This record gives sequence, structure tokens and C-alpha cells, in this order.
Amino acid sequence: MDNLDLLVVGGGPAGLCGAIEAARSGLNVLVVDEGVVPGGQLVKQTHKFFGSEEFYASVRGMKIATKLLDDLGSYENARIVTESSVLAIYEEGIPVLDRRSDSVTLYRPSSILFATGASEKFLQFDNNDLPGVYGAGAVQTLMNQYGILPGNTVLMIGSGNIGLIVSYQLLQAGVEVKAIIEASGRIGGYEVHAEKVKRSGVPILLKHTITKALGRDSVIGAVISALDEKWKPVPGTEREIVVDTICIAVGLSPSVELIAQAGGEIKYVAELGGYVPVRDYNQKSTVGNIYVAGDASGIEEATTAMIEGRIAGLNIVKDITGSCDIDRLNSLHQNLDKFRSGPTSSKTRTGLKKIGSTITEIEYTEGEVNRPESFRGKLRPLIECYEAIPCNPCETSCPTGAIKVGKNINNVPVIDYSLCTGCGICATKCPGLAIFMCQERDDGTALLGIPYEFLPLPSRGDSVFAFGRNGEVVCSADVERVVKSPNKTNLIYIRVPEELVGRIRHLGTVVSRSRDLVCRCEEVTVEQVRKAIRDGYKDFEELRRYLRISMGPCGGRTCRLNTLMILSREIGIPVEELSPGMMRPPAIPVTFGSIERSGAENSDEE
Amino acid sequence: MKNRAQVVIIGGGVTGTATAYYLAKNGISDVVLIEADYLSSGSTGRCGGGIRQQWSERMNVRLAMRSVQHFKNFENEVGQEIEYFQGGYLLLAYTDDEVALFEKNVSMQQSEGLDVDLYTFEETSKKFPFMNLSGMKVAAYCPSDGHANPHLTTFGYARAAQKMGVEIQTHTRAESIEVKNDRVVAVVTSRGRIETGTVVNAAGGYSREIGLMAGLDLPTESYRHQIFVTEPLEHILNPLVISFEHNFYIRQTTAGNFIMGQGDKDELPGHDITPTWRFLKEMTAKMPRFFPFLKDIRVLRHWAGLYNMSPDAQPIIDKSDKIEDFYMAIGFSGHGFMLAPAVGEALAEWIAWGEPKSVDISNLSLQRFKHGFTREKNVV
Repeated sequence: MDNLDLLVVGGGPAGLCGAIEAARSGLNVLVVDEGVVPGGQLVKQTHKFFGSEEFYASVRGMKIATKLLDDLGSYENARIVTESSVLAIYEEGIPVLDRRSDSVTLYRPSSILFATGASEKFLQFDNNDLPGVYGAGAVQTLMNQYGILPGNTVLMIGSGNIGLIVSYQLLQAGVEVKAIIEASGRIGGYEVHAEKVKRSGVPILLKHTITKALGRDSVIGAVISALDEKWKPVPGTEREIVVDTICIAVGLSPSVELIAQAGGEIKYVAELGGYVPVRDYNQKSTVGNIYVAGDASGIEEATTAMIEGRIAGLNIVKDITGSCDIDRLNSLHQNLDKFRSGPTSSKTRTGLKKIGSTITEIEYTEGEVNRPESFRGKLRPLIECYEAIPCNPCETSCPTGAIKVGKNINNVPVIDYSLCTGCGICATKCPGLAIFMCQERDDGTALLGIPYEFLPLPSRGDSVFAFGRNGEVVCSADVERVVKSPNKTNLIYIRVPEELVGRIRHLGTVVSRSRDLVCRCEEVTVEQVRKAIRDGYKDFEELRRYLRISMGPCGGRTCRLNTLMILSREIGIPVEELSPGMMRPPAIPVTFGSIERSGAENSDEE
Repeated sequence: MKNRAQVVIIGGGVTGTATAYYLAKNGISDVVLIEADYLSSGSTGRCGGGIRQQWSERMNVRLAMRSVQHFKNFENEVGQEIEYFQGGYLLLAYTDDEVALFEKNVSMQQSEGLDVDLYTFEETSKKFPFMNLSGMKVAAYCPSDGHANPHLTTFGYARAAQKMGVEIQTHTRAESIEVKNDRVVAVVTSRGRIETGTVVNAAGGYSREIGLMAGLDLPTESYRHQIFVTEPLEHILNPLVISFEHNFYIRQTTAGNFIMGQGDKDELPGHDITPTWRFLKEMTAKMPRFFPFLKDIRVLRHWAGLYNMSPDAQPIIDKSDKIEDFYMAIGFSGHGFMLAPAVGEALAEWIAWGEPKSVDISNLSLQRFKHGFTREKNVV
């Protein structure tokens, strides 16, 4: 095949975007992808993307892949070959192995876009070759692409965005994530991602590392240890954690092998993940007709990868046809620079500077006018986005223009509550699930809308556990409303005591329906308890005496807290302010015979 | 909370709530009942729940029989099921003195129309085959005696009173009583002051303390009494069984649990209601001798409450002669629950109409202690 204008190596977000730009201008394009399904990492990304809606923010990665593939598929001059690998870069051509037919085809394209992505960094510890030790990418592939759970209990190593996101996805799949450990002193990923896993009850242990995987044939546990200032394990802090899966998410390295073979200069830049190709502002490598984009040119994220791909694509068009849509190119550059101008991109900026690209940090403004308390009683969003992430779907989705991020996408959103209608769209759009809905009521309770991405979805009237920011059970709550959203971030409105509005951020396992038993010894149902409370029994002891709750053999171990939670929810007083009632002796039932046979301590009798 | 009421009742036990209920029924619903903790939190909620008419004093028999009429109609009248069960009271006599006393009491009680009778050892053994009655000489059995759930009874009165307009304030402690010119002016509570001219002291174990707030030195003292409950069994024990000689009472609730207790002669007056190991040890050793099947059942909960004792172990239902419209229903000496319907009714009538109408309670006045008095003997 001799009339190939562009060979794109890698069909992920960067490669597909580059191919689309080239195909749109009529170039003959071939995308070579190793996967069974093209799309790169996108196809396993079940979470919503950050960024601006123009670049698919608030859309789930797997949907973005479909959109990009549909888009590319509309051009007859573009092709994708899957399950195929570029073997090498030779002067005479580029051999591509089709793994299905086990045959090689040699291509001689006019230009190449390397969008080869990255490979996962691995970690050295005892037994790290045991089955059950996975990279985060493998876990995502197994779980999200093929529907296979890697295990039942996971220890996640690394708190970068991937570690956090994959932990969240594991939770969504019903896997228990025992802990996320992080060697450094701070969480690596976005705060909002960390909050999501924390409120699901996953502890994030900073300054910790794994020292050993336990097991003979497969993982049965892990030994973790605290790290001192010099990153050395502190003796005596070792702990065993029982897990069947260890997932490593300690970062990515750009895949630069083919670029280097092609003669492109590479340079070690730690901030960009390792060896990266030296390239110019337009993604052109040091070899004239070779471009790079996406993680292959430095580890970042999918939005910047897509923009880089488009920039590379437009420049290739320009190289080959002599011209391209310059306005569009400039606007892409501006957007990319804007994305990288915020505080969460400081590492990227430092790295890019080392290979000659400079991006100025733009001042961003902190959210200022968010004063939800002055609009007490109005249904309105509480926006907990404080990190200056380059992201603005809250702004672009708001039908009344109440939320403003502004020109700099890194700005923290600002809301004018007087314009807000309480529709909740922002809460379903926010990729960080950092927007909650709230409305105080006169009876001391409040309606709290929580973005929820777990199954099964609770129904109206169900009782659920309300979790705090660290996954602690705060109380139980009744579901008042379930708003299903097409993007599957549903809003669950629960009724909680007003003073707990600031604490409750998640909900969980359905605890009870009205016919379910609260007290199993005495067979008292949720409905009976509720009715009694409505009839005026607003004290645990009164409920106990009225309904016989806690009067059975368990002495209240199972039912006391459940009853208090129902009481809390019905009367709007937090559990900690309620009287827990009497704890009568004996703590466990004991027979007459055994008491009678007891002797005195230090006595020779009996 | 209201800051003014015609009547303030101090105490959210069965006596206080019954009085509130009957006040409203007699047309006085401008009533605030205050309770320091929650309803039935004091002696009411800690008692054995027995309802007995077999007393040694004639007037007590009448009062108790009047109460039983109310218990029988409770569900219809007050609107709350209270696990009322007329399984009788079986009083066991082991000594000749007891036999003589029982004979005297039963003939007096029969003359009042009570369905009580004496049973020989053989008759009793035949009627109650699962008990070990060895040594027992005679038993007094009254089938219309029985038991009920004290919590439900209190809640029933409280809710019915509320429906008729009575205000009930729990977690509201009486802190002082303002008295001017020998009249009550107000009750000051932990949650505010309530102006009132009429106060009812129904404070159970704390009746003396409430009296002192108004400057009255009432002759009551509180004593700890312990009690415990077992896991539930199939219902086999109809009567509440008492032995004064062996110092116990036992009943089986309609839910199947056995509740039992004993008195302790060594108790000193006070407000300590901590349960003790010694009590459990004595009871678990003693009770299977009479009820062998208890040996293998398990004790679920053990607690204590206060007997508010009067000098003759009989209640004091009276109106103070020193302070105008200061009423009291105190010193029940362990028998407040069973008498509460008749007492509440009498007291409410007294407040509403100037005198108790339904039953004569003149024997229960404070005055009796100024003369010689006879102690009620049928007390555990």
C-alpha cells in the first residue's frame, strides 16, 4: 500500500482524534490498534471525564470511544485494523503484524502519528509475580471490558487518579477494596476522586508501601508497612491485610520504543512519566514526518490526549496538503494551554518546559459567592469543588446560567443561588460527583440529593444507610426521591436531620423495607417502629417498653442502633444526641443453674 | 410548653398518667404532666406488673377491686391493649401464723365479694402440677387477680389524656415549687416555669423530695427492689405466685417470659437502683426449688426500681392540710401499678368535684400516722 498518507499507531483517544482530523481533510488514513476493540483505554473507562463539554467532559470514557469511532467510520478514506501491532520502523517500510491471520503487511506512509500510549510502572516487592498481582490497566480490562472480576478483595497500591478511579470501579462492581496505600505524604489524584472512595469507606493510607505479597499459588494477603521520611519501611509497622488481589497503580511510562526506533530523540523527564519524545508545540517529533500525541508524548489524561491528537492531525494535513484550518488549530492550542494552566497541571508544565514547551500558569479564582446558608430552605446544589481542576460541565449544563466557571476552565465554579432553580442537572453532570443537592425543611430535617452510581438503585421509601465523608455510618435515612439520569449518575434524595447535611455524602446497602424486622428477637418491624414514633414514642426506652424492642436474648445488640437510626430519621435528631437507653445486666443470657453453681473469687468453696 | 395550667402533675408513671387521664375525663384538661425522664421510667416501668385484690386491710381490697374493674375495661375504655391477663394470684402459706392470717383475710375478702378461696396442699398440687409445693400448708387463690404490662398501661393513659388535651412534657424535671400564703403558685421545671394553683405529687420514688420543694415533710422513704426476667417459654404459669415466708413472687408474662423478685430486709433507704450479683445468686438458687423447670432457662435482664414505702406499707392518697390544693398519691410501697386506675380516678374526682366519688380512700390519709396504725401484711 503506497498511497497511505498517514499511519496512526494506536487507536486510543489521541490516535483516533488525529486520524479524524486527517480523514476530514481527505487524507488516506490507517489506524493500527492492538486491541480487539479499538479505543485504547477509553473502552474500559466507565467514569465521566473532566474537562469541557466540547471535549466530551461529563461523558463516560467508553461512550467517547464509540463517538470517536463513529466519527472516524464516517470517512471512507480512513481504516482501522485491530489486533494488529507495528513490529518495527524500517527505512523500507513499517511491518504490521495482523495477529488474527498471523501475517505481516508492510506500509510506507507519508507520515506517522505515534499515539502508542503508555505502559504501567511496576513495583518491586516480595512475591510480586504471584497470580493475583495485577496492574490497574489489567483490572480495568478484565472488569470493565470483559466483565470478569479480578477477585473479591483488593489492596490498591497508589492513590493517583488511576488508583482512585479503579478503586471506585471495583466498588461499583461489588468488590471490597480493603485500602489504598500511597507511598508519598499526599493523595496523588484529584481530591474529588479521593472523596468518592473515602465516602465509600475505603481508607487511604499515606506514607505506606507494600513489602510482600502473601500466598503460595495465588495471593492470599499482603504485608504493608509505614514509610519514614527517607521512604524506608519503618520496622514494627508491618501489617497483614487479607486480600486475594493486589492492584498496582503507581503510574505510567510513555511507550516510546517505536519513536526511538524511528530516530526520534527521546529524553528522560520524570514529570512526564519517564522517557518522552522531544517534540515541538505542534506535536512534531525531531523527525520531520513523525508526530506524537497522547500519553506517548508525556503522561497526562485523555482530554489533553485528544487535543494533542487533533493538533498533530491538523499539522500533518498542513504538511501534506500545504494548508489546514488555522483558526481551529489556534483554538485547539489555546484550549490545551488553558487546560494546562491550572494548579493540578503544574507537574506537566514543569515537564514540558524540560523539552522546550512553555505554558504560562494562569491565575484562577477561588469560588467566592458560594453561600448556601443564606438560601436556607431552597432546593439548591452544594458544590464541593475546591481544587481548580480544568473542568466546567457544571457551568455549561446549567440551564439558567447560575453556575460560572468563566474563561479560565481551571477556575473554581461559582454559583448565584438566586438564579438557581434546583434542577440538579449540575449534580448529575459533575464528573467528580462533587455536587450535592440540599433543601432544609421546617421540621429539623433536610432533603439531601446524593449523586449515586451504584446498583441496585434504591427506590422511593427504602431505608438506606447514610455514610459520612469517610464512609462511616452516620444514620439511616429514607429515600424520598430517585432521579434517574441518562448518563447513569442518578440523584438519590434522602431525608436526614438538617445538621447532618454537611456530613452525609454517600449512601449504601438497603437496610430495611417497612415489613423488615428491626428487632429479630421480638419480631418488631420497621413499620411498627415508625408508627410508634409517629404515635408519640420518641425515646428509645419508650419504644423499647412499648414494642419490646431489645427485650429479647440479644439484649439490643442488633436492634438498638437500628431503632435509634429510625428514631433519628423520624424526629430529625442525630443519633449521638439520642439517649441509647438502658444496658441491663446480664450482658448475655445466663441460666439459673450456672449462676447458682458460681463460687466466690479466691474462695476454696465449690 | 404551657406556662400556665390549672393542674400540674409531677410524675410520668402510671399514677400520674392515670390521674391526668381521669382529670381530662372529669372535664379538666388544662393539665401539664411533667416527667423528669421518659414515661414509665421510674417505679412503674420497673415493677412486676401484678394486679392483686387479696389485701389484709378491707379498704385496700375495695380499692383494688375497683382497679380491677378498670383493668378489665382498659382496652375498650382507654384504647390500648395492655396484655391484661386474669390468671389469678396464688399466695402460699408455709407457717401456722400464715395459715391463720390467710384464713382471716380470705373471710374478710369474701365478705367484700372477692372470688378468693383457700386450697389445701393436695388441691393446690393438683391444680398447679409443675410446682414443688413441699412444706406448703395452705394456699389462697383468687382467679380474678392477674397481671398486665405496666408500660403499656402508662402509655395508654398518657396517649388518651393527650388526645383529650392534656400536655405531657417528658425530660422535664421539677426543680422547685413556689408557694405563697400556703398556696401553690407555680412549678419551676428544668424547661421553664408553669403557673398553677394545683399540684399532684405522683413522683414515686422521689415523692418525699417533691414534698420538700413545697415545704412538706412527707413520711415516705424509698428502697431498692430488684427483679429480673427470663427468656420466654410456652405459657404454663397462669397465676402470679407469692410466698411471704420464702420471700418471692413470680409471674409469666403473656409473651412467655418469667418475671420474679424478692424483698431485701437489709436494704437501706436511698435512691440507688443498681442491680446486685447477690440478688441474682439468691434468686437463681431459690426459685428452682419451687419451680424446678427454671434451672435450665436463661436470665435475660436484671434491673431494680424503688419501692416508695410509707410507715404502714399502704399508699398515701391525700390533699395536704398545710398547703392548699397540693395533692399526693405516694408511698405505694410496691403496689402503685395495680391500684393506679382507682387512685387516679379518685384523685381526679377529688380535684374536679371536691371529693372522691367512686371509691372511699379516707383510710389512706396522712392523718392516720398521727394515731396508731396497722401495717399491711401482704407485702413482699
